Amino acid sequence: MLDGLRVSTFLAGKALQRGNKGTLVLTVMIIALVFVNLVFLPSIVAGVVVMFNQQSVDYNYGNLVVEPRENEQAIEDASVLVRRIERIPGVLAVSPRLTAGGTVTFHGTSLARSVIGIDPTEERRVTRTSTRMIEGDYLSDGDMEAAVIGRTIAGNEDPRLDTQDSLGGVRVGDSITVTYTNGAIRRYLVKGIFQTDSYSTDASVFVTRRELEGVTGRSNQASQLLVRTGVDGDEEAFRLRLYSYGVQETVRTWQEKSRGIIGDVTNSFAIINLISTAVSLVIAIVVIFIVVFINTVNRRRQIGILKAIGIEPRLIVGSYVIQVLVICGAGAAAGLVLLAGVVQYLTLYPLRFPGGPVLPVVELLQVAQSVASLFVVSTIAGYVPAWKVAGEEILEAIRG
Amino acid sequence: MITAEGLTRVYHMGAVDVHALGGVSFEIERGEFVGIMGSSGSGKSTLLHILGLLDRPTAGRLEVDGVDVLGLSDREQTRFRLRRLGYVFQDYALISELTALENVFLSSLVRGAARDEYLRTAREILEEVGLGDRADHQQYELSGGEQQRVAIARALVNRPAIVFADEPCANLDTATSRTILDLFARLNRELGQTIVMVSHEDWHRRYFCRVVNLRDGLVEGIEDQPCVSHEDV
Repeated sequence: MLDGLRVSTFLAGKALQRGNKGTLVLTVMIIALVFVNLVFLPSIVAGVVVMFNQQSVDYNYGNLVVEPRENEQAIEDASVLVRRIERIPGVLAVSPRLTAGGTVTFHGTSLARSVIGIDPTEERRVTRTSTRMIEGDYLSDGDMEAAVIGRTIAGNEDPRLDTQDSLGGVRVGDSITVTYTNGAIRRYLVKGIFQTDSYSTDASVFVTRRELEGVTGRSNQASQLLVRTGVDGDEEAFRLRLYSYGVQETVRTWQEKSRGIIGDVTNSFAIINLISTAVSLVIAIVVIFIVVFINTVNRRRQIGILKAIGIEPRLIVGSYVIQVLVICGAGAAAGLVLLAGVVQYLTLYPLRFPGGPVLPVVELLQVAQSVASLFVVSTIAGYVPAWKVAGEEILEAIRG
Repeated sequence: MITAEGLTRVYHMGAVDVHALGGVSFEIERGEFVGIMGSSGSGKSTLLHILGLLDRPTAGRLEVDGVDVLGLSDREQTRFRLRRLGYVFQDYALISELTALENVFLSSLVRGAARDEYLRTAREILEEVGLGDRADHQQYELSGGEQQRVAIARALVNRPAIVFADEPCANLDTATSRTILDLFARLNRELGQTIVMVSHEDWHRRYFCRVVNLRDGLVEGIEDQPCVSHEDV
């Protein structure tokens, strides 16, 4: 077995060392490009998913969302619950939100929207919307007749520039009118406009919770509490921890809250990914098969001679498989270097997606899977033609 | 050493059967330098391929070095070729990516010899065939005669029981051919190497101690004769 490996390795080494260098380099480069193709698209998909996930945490939900108990419309004694959750180890901040439906009007343009009442200081600690102001300022705790609105709802004077329904070009300092579903009408000075690139957040209107309590007559209530934890990715454990500390309201993780949209995006990309991976692997198989096939056909006579002098076909096939594995390894290594360059470039100059800039996320598992897939298909693509030629009658092979 | 009985070989070429060998029988003793001679199409190469286990006869019996070789599987025949037979082809048949030395030691490597041993043996044999200083040259750096001597060295490296040579001088000029034939004669004389060689050149005849004459796939006659190997040098 070891002697056989020694012979196969010797023959493979000499073929690589003294064979056609141009063909060798070209094949390695093709494998490298196939490798990049295998890893690049999934890295972009992962980047998109990471972006959506981060947006969910940073602008929409925090890590956890506490919602009213079943069959209840609001969380009563919100401040008590906020303080209780804040004391739970690992919880960084809790932001209560009160929501009321209404129609927002500006210069005759009306849009139905939920107006979100927040405690600005707490909200700053849970979400990052306050850091994404493109005009004006964020809300302060004492603001009563002021609102901050998203870039999407603010819109443009030229509606052709809008991607969604908007108020037609609201600027800081303008006044908008909100007609609440309870009949109350309020006029708010637009204090600031933010752009988070999150669809739902950029279409939102924020006022202070105190202002909204005044409008709705609901005191110390919250529609939901957003909870920020010290660690991302451990939401399920924190959810159970909240329950164990006596929270009786419904606690959901941001993953549960965003499952619909992110799930659809992820599934769609997964299908694209699968097709792209399959095509890449087929290309790899075809390329390696052709290279080895041409190689073996050109060396048919040589293979016949090797058999004639007493070398078993399995050792000859083994030498071709080893050559292919070396080429594949070199291709994967070159691919890694290429990929590192592409990732570096896209980190400096990220791709702009509608949801924001996307950085490629290269996952080790994906790289390992791609390398493994390449090795498997290469072995098959190298083995089959070599086995076919090595199985020929000696004299037929020698006569070519 | 070699006992052939009723060897026949029929090639099926579509609807036509071509009888390359029509029942060949003869014996070769250890240490003989045998020439298989005949005109083109007489079946001499077909016979050599069968004797060298590169092809199987349609019928007949063949014993080589005491082994009923036709009863061996393909894999067993491959091992038998490796350990007991050496083969020299008409057109040298060297592996182009290997140096002279590597071509020679390849069979030893396959046999599982240690590195020091196969390197030493290969160098010794290259010295024997007069190519000690060409060991690290590749095929394209060697002349035809040198390539054929490398091929002979490769055939000898495992100290085979029999060396088969299929018109080894066909692509060489007369002077180089003589060098090759002299080399075979010396190996036969000094090492007692059994050699079976195919040739159609009449002037080669004097090198053979026994000549099997073929005609139309049949043995026309077998002659024992004085040969170069038996001459005093």
